[in-house]
Amino acid sequence: MKILTTVKKVVDVELNMHVKDGAIIEDGLQYVINAWDESAVEEAVQLKENHGAETTLVSVGGGDNTDMIRRCYAMGIENGIHIEDPALEKADSFISARVLQKAYEKGGYDLVITGKQAQDTDSGQTGIILAELLGLPCVSNVVGIEVVDEQHIRVSRSGDSGTEIVETELPAVVNVDVSINEPRLPQMRGIMMAKKKKIEVLDLAGLGTSADEIGSASPKSEVVEFMPTETRQGGQKFEGDVAEITTKVVELLANEAKVF
Amino acid sequence: MAKVLIVAEIKQGILKSSTTELLSKAKSVGAETAVVAIGTDIGSLVPELVKAGSDTQYIADDAGLALFSAGPYAAAVVDAAKQFNADLVWFGFSESGKAVAPRVAAQLDAACATEITGIDLSGEQIEIIRPAITNKVMQRVKVNAAKLVAVVRAGAFEADAGITGSENVVTLSAPQADLKAVIKELVRDASGEIDLTDADVVVSVGRGAKDQAGIDLVRELANDLKAGFGSSRAMVDGGFMAHNKQVGQTGKIVAPTLYMAIGISGAIQHLAGMNGSKVILAVNKDPEAPIFNVADYGIVGDLFEVVPILREEISKLRS
Repeated sequence: MKILTTVKKVVDVELNMHVKDGAIIEDGLQYVINAWDESAVEEAVQLKENHGAETTLVSVGGGDNTDMIRRCYAMGIENGIHIEDPALEKADSFISARVLQKAYEKGGYDLVITGKQAQDTDSGQTGIILAELLGLPCVSNVVGIEVVDEQHIRVSRSGDSGTEIVETELPAVVNVDVSINEPRLPQMRGIMMAKKKKIEVLDLAGLGTSADEIGSASPKSEVVEFMPTETRQGGQKFEGDVAEITTKVVELLANEAKVF
Repeated sequence: MAKVLIVAEIKQGILKSSTTELLSKAKSVGAETAVVAIGTDIGSLVPELVKAGSDTQYIADDAGLALFSAGPYAAAVVDAAKQFNADLVWFGFSESGKAVAPRVAAQLDAACATEITGIDLSGEQIEIIRPAITNKVMQRVKVNAAKLVAVVRAGAFEADAGITGSENVVTLSAPQADLKAVIKELVRDASGEIDLTDADVVVSVGRGAKDQAGIDLVRELANDLKAGFGSSRAMVDGGFMAHNKQVGQTGKIVAPTLYMAIGISGAIQHLAGMNGSKVILAVNKDPEAPIFNVADYGIVGDLFEVVPILREEISKLRS
């Protein structure tokens, strides 16, 4: 089985973020692998270990992605492709999906595993649009993957009323949730070996396409400005005798907040 | 006049409140509204769909639509959108909506926006407002396409009690089943549980509950209040609570009238899933817990002591 995982470098959401004049202040920000994509990588590596597979990652944009891709190598991914082109600066989900479509077609894969969303945009669209473009079956919000045979997988999806079990023909695209696994920490041996491995860096021409074909000059949507989130202010915090303060708070919930 | 198609959110035969909320918003901006309802034996929902504020009801009612499958559901929405000539297609904030919206956008050659909290149709181009980066910032997004498919964040729009619609039913032909991704089974959540995303009160339990006994204690409080019962990620990762009980950016986003965070410290992913709640109560023994920065009312104390008193005081109040 040939598995492709998609990996995005995103801002570390644990750090504080400030907005000035419609833009996010870059100072002090750090960039990390998108948490959902890290689960996609882990899942690909587990499938390789348990069933045998060739694993490749593709990453679009992000500037210098060397550290992130090496980390994925150290986790067990074998091949890495990084697509970087100035034309992709305003890429929306559709443009990113078209780039990924080209990468898929160049390699030919049986299974694409993407994170269900990226923690910078929180959009959750690209993996699903990619499947539409490829005309492949797609299951999103996946919390489990089981290999049935060479042509089929059985996936569990967390849905509105419970867990949906979907039997899917390969090739297919699945978008995984972080709860699907606990990504491993790279070990020293893997880290050392990862340093020697090559990363294939391609621009759009190298990928066999062009800005025109991808439509990168005309995104369907673009961010005009960033604004600070309306932050909630903490209200009244009570400390002291537990019986007393709890009674007091219930009274406030009833009479002040009027929720009972 | 903009034409807005709203995808009815139906769960186990019941029409959810998001449908009225979205229809109310569409009407408040002067749009012409239609609703598309997809499922099995849903014809009886038509009066409710009218009451929710729709002026046309597209109905895809077929035995093959009993279990959710993204392909056929998307096909039914696309069919309705084309017949209605919709400029906008809005989904409520459900797992099915999130799975279907990008497909519909791709098939209609529309733009797609998820988690929107605001929309402006007054200018030449549609603009939307949405949170990003785990709710740390908001973004204003300009839509360059003529059509927009959007998923509306839970609690973003309010229902208008005075809304009215009119009956004009259009029956859709049954979409083809997805033969490449076949839904085999739905392992339902325990029955009788109150839906987190629809509940007026949500009680969530965190690491402070320690184990099953602690969880059961907090669940009693939720039961007393007929509240949805949720969880922080820690309790899901610990195997104590199901995935779909997790409140947070990676799980369910809720916006109830009252949210009780019991033994939850308040990691940003959790806060991003509940900070749209009207009133927040936090119980935590650590006075420095970040949850207190967003809570309207905070009780610093051990939940094992606080919860029994909470239950008793609330029951006194109600009797």
